[in-house]
Amino acid sequence: MNWVNAVVQGLLLGGLFALFACGLSLLFGVVGVINLAHGDFAVLGAYVAVLLLPSTATNALWALLFVPPLFGFFGYLLQRTLLQRSLEISPLTTLLVTFGLSVVVQNGLLEAFSADSHSFNVGSLVTSSFKVDEQLQVSYLRLGVLLVAIAVLSVLSLFLARSRTGIQIRAVADDREAAQMSGVNTRHIVGVAAAIAFATVALAGLAYGMTAQFAPYSGSALLLFAFEAVVIGGIGSLWGTLGGGLILGLAQSIGFQIDPSLGVLAGHLVFLGVLAFRPTGLVPARAAA
Amino acid sequence: MTDDVPLSPADDSGAPPLFSDVSRRNVLRGAAGGAFALGAAGVLSACGGGLKGTSSPGAGSSAGNGRKKITIGFITPLTGPVASFAVSDQFVIDTIRKTQKFSGGITSGAKTYDVEIVVKDSQSDPNRATQVARELISQNNVDMILVTSTPEVTNPVATVCEAQAVPCVSTIVPWEAWYFGRGAKPGSEFQYTTMFFFGIGEFGECFIPMWNRISNDKTVALMYPNDVDGNAFRKAFPPLMQKAGYKTVDGGAYTDGTTDYSAMIATFKSAGADIYSNAPIPPDFNTFWKQAFQQGYRPKLATVAKVLLFPSDVEALGPLAENVATDAWWTPHHPFSSSLDGTTSKGIADAFQKATGKQWLQSIGTSYALFEVAHNAFSSVDDPHDRKAVAAALRGMKYTGICGQLDFTAGPVPGVAIIKPVGVQWKKGKDFPYSLEVVDNSANKAVPLTADLKPTRA
Repeated sequence: MNWVNAVVQGLLLGGLFALFACGLSLLFGVVGVINLAHGDFAVLGAYVAVLLLPSTATNALWALLFVPPLFGFFGYLLQRTLLQRSLEISPLTTLLVTFGLSVVVQNGLLEAFSADSHSFNVGSLVTSSFKVDEQLQVSYLRLGVLLVAIAVLSVLSLFLARSRTGIQIRAVADDREAAQMSGVNTRHIVGVAAAIAFATVALAGLAYGMTAQFAPYSGSALLLFAFEAVVIGGIGSLWGTLGGGLILGLAQSIGFQIDPSLGVLAGHLVFLGVLAFRPTGLVPARAAA
Repeated sequence: MTDDVPLSPADDSGAPPLFSDVSRRNVLRGAAGGAFALGAAGVLSACGGGLKGTSSPGAGSSAGNGRKKITIGFITPLTGPVASFAVSDQFVIDTIRKTQKFSGGITSGAKTYDVEIVVKDSQSDPNRATQVARELISQNNVDMILVTSTPEVTNPVATVCEAQAVPCVSTIVPWEAWYFGRGAKPGSEFQYTTMFFFGIGEFGECFIPMWNRISNDKTVALMYPNDVDGNAFRKAFPPLMQKAGYKTVDGGAYTDGTTDYSAMIATFKSAGADIYSNAPIPPDFNTFWKQAFQQGYRPKLATVAKVLLFPSDVEALGPLAENVATDAWWTPHHPFSSSLDGTTSKGIADAFQKATGKQWLQSIGTSYALFEVAHNAFSSVDDPHDRKAVAAALRGMKYTGICGQLDFTAGPVPGVAIIKPVGVQWKKGKDFPYSLEVVDNSANKAVPLTADLKPTRA
């Protein structure tokens, strides 16, 4: 029964990882930016909620309404200004720029909010769960995060596959020049992709802030897990990202069940195994391309 | 390169030439890296100096009145993951600088010396801590280094000081981690480095009486991570618990930063485990404690170490932190006062709250005491620049100040003074959301109780 518990809790954990990885996957797959500041932007999103919520007693679920859109707007601006410019110089410059952004965000948050740690108030949701049996209790909050992750990734996949903007985004991702020649406003389209990516980053930051505690320096650890989920799933594939997140969560949870010192390590080992034996990830992006 | 090989001392020991060549290259690379790091650190600390105002107000005038100067280096994690320990340190330094005993100069032998306090940010990072310690010694020519908050930061600094023969006082580090963590063998003694705080034994004296006051199943759940503190706890604490009649259930040596504790929670649930003991990093406790509630593990009494020491962690956890017990080495209720100007503990805590608008925290007491110790050491020697004499004064010090009596001669090992902590619980507060109340003074009877011990699980 403990194993069932480990699997269920691992999947719930994987939901959070998948949600985190979504923005990273999208930004890399479409815009071509490896965003080293990904984790820090998630934490920034959480701090924006801290700043804008009227008090610490306010239920933080309200922040879901306004922080992701704000972040989408911010992502669009960032893409059109800083990231686009650095991309035009070289991918390496972009890497350095995002690394710089990571340092700026961390230290900026430290100056603005001090090193105090925060966590969101979500009322009784934080402790409530339903009991399957004595060994297995499922938290509504964590289940909610998993469902949100699945919903976000499904909607995005459909959006990319079906909608006009989505098709344009894919066209730009495949061949920017050809897309431009066909009349696509590539800069705007890439900006839209960045906006979506940043909105999901904010969403992930909020989910993290509800389930755990964050401080200005929390971002780096988050980046690692997001990165692993993306690589396990296959770079650029959103369904792969969902699978990658779930596999990472399962690996950590089952590893922990075998031996507590194996928990985080098991996740890293799966990541290394995928890199070694299937570097394209589980779902290779755009296999047809 | 090949010409050099026969000259290598490694050659005499019969090592193959290739080996010595490789090791030399590594040495060179390491040296180059070190030089780069030091250069970068210089730039960074220059910025930090501008922002934090590290130079003493008296520093400029010291040349004018012709007096000589004592320089004290203070290394604290103003930024980084453990910056919550250092929230009050800027206030403490400002307060210390204003006391007559520092602003009026320290009289050492027949002369009075101006005092300069140079503050360096360890950024919660061992490498950075080592760098700033070296800078303080080589650039600022400090006569003493004071360092605070967690073994990760205090140990590298103490190691540099011991090697370079600079007197050093550390605090907020369990003495076992400070002593054994730097490779000391029982019976050996550090010459230049001293510390005051407490160790695992005092955690036992503080926590076990609280457990005994709550009826429980005499089973303790252990959440000790696989890090310096966690392993020290795992080694030293369970024997004390067993002696007191408690069984232990070890949740296992998990890695810091683990995001899912379901397996551990299941272990604790199936064992019963009415008592919960831990030594995690703060964000991990937050994650664990929420999941424990979600998955139905509710110990009758949680006595935590290393977490919930400061108001910010408690506010982050909200109502779930209520009646969680921990240790306190200093509170405004401690009936002790400053050896510098007689201000009471309460007076200092009130001044902090007035100056910053923030709630008092227990690291005010230890940081303040560092400067009391420094003052005592310098005023008891004939020449403050005589490092041997200052170090000897530190090792033999016995005085009473803001943290009560500190006796560096009576500790478990030489050069260690022990503070006896009291048991505290977080309760709903008046001025701030939660307040830290003294609920058990078994280990330190001088401190009055301010509230009743309540089970964590009502």
